[in-house]
Amino acid sequence: MCRAAGTYRGKPWKAGRWAWQHGRCFGDVDYIGLRNMDYPLIIATACGAIALYLMMPRGQGWLVKLGTLIGVLALASGLSYLTHWASVEYPAQHAAGPGIFFYAFALITLASAVGVVCHPKPLYSALYFVLMTLAIAGLFVLLMAEFIAVVLIIIYAGAILVTYVFVIMLASPSGVAAAAVDYDRISADPLIAVLVSFLLLGTVLETLFTHTPHGFIAASASGITAHAAHWGGLAALGKNLYSRYTLPLELAGVLMTISLVGAVVIARKNAPHTHMLGLGEMPAE
Amino acid sequence: MMMTHATSSFSDPVLVRYLALGAVLFAIGLVGFMARRNMIMIFLSTEIMFQGVAINLIAFSRYYHNADGQSFVIFLLTVAAAEASLALGLVVMLFRQRQTLNVDAWSDMQG
Repeated sequence: MCRAAGTYRGKPWKAGRWAWQHGRCFGDVDYIGLRNMDYPLIIATACGAIALYLMMPRGQGWLVKLGTLIGVLALASGLSYLTHWASVEYPAQHAAGPGIFFYAFALITLASAVGVVCHPKPLYSALYFVLMTLAIAGLFVLLMAEFIAVVLIIIYAGAILVTYVFVIMLASPSGVAAAAVDYDRISADPLIAVLVSFLLLGTVLETLFTHTPHGFIAASASGITAHAAHWGGLAALGKNLYSRYTLPLELAGVLMTISLVGAVVIARKNAPHTHMLGLGEMPAE
Repeated sequence: MMMTHATSSFSDPVLVRYLALGAVLFAIGLVGFMARRNMIMIFLSTEIMFQGVAINLIAFSRYYHNADGQSFVIFLLTVAAAEASLALGLVVMLFRQRQTLNVDAWSDMQG
């Protein structure tokens, strides 16, 4: 029974939407699952993709501004979709949202992640990454993982990012770290990158929001032991690390040692054995 | 000891929000990984992807009241630190050879 949209009796400007909702455009058989898709979610994801595509470094400032505008639109539509989704899927728990702090930290995280990816100067990207790390540490505190939050700040913001900044300073061609060079100002294949990753993101979010049966996540927990009384805090984490994961923890230490030695060997300049390894020397200036 | 997940203050919709945030972070990092041409920026983008995964692990740890997720984040941080040290050593070495951080300068490296 494939009726044309024109036979819809009512307001004519709603005919298209009616036909879309009832799937009459494609006949009764929904071959590729178009009818079950969550279109507001898809639209929000696509808005985010367009925004990120426009914001990729291209050497044109007004595109970045347009991209920021579309990105704000994408965030707003995603937020409204989330509210709608929670009220439809979990009406009883709708009032118990994650709270304002989650949204604040999530906003800072996403904005600074986009800043990392899109800023043409690597030094500023590294600083955006520090900001993102701090916001994620805030999220971890909200998730009752205080120790991980502290460790994240110490290791990422304190150690890894300082190393990154050092290397950015060391390895800048002109010696001026803040000056953007050619390969930073113009990105390679932003269209393909955005298409691939937002196709992945759309699939993941679609599955997460529409195709997860209720209670599925909780039901799968039966195989996981919950330590309700002694959960949380540093004591439980340490006990878990040194009872269940003793061997992996020791192996992690071995891995750190190996990578330390490897980094020293690789980055060493004019070492006596680098000729044999083919690692080369610094060209004479 | 049985846990009743429904009565927990950390309910399903809250968990799903955290998972969505982790997925979005992963996608942003993937875009940077594929689109940037600076070697340092490529490694920085992988760190963003690491953070997205870490959010997922911590959120599930909170949801199930189980310390395994936090333990895995410890290992994840270890691997990230090892990767960063090795990768930055490599970047310094490669920069010494060609005086550029552009990955396209190394496209003749085949096989």
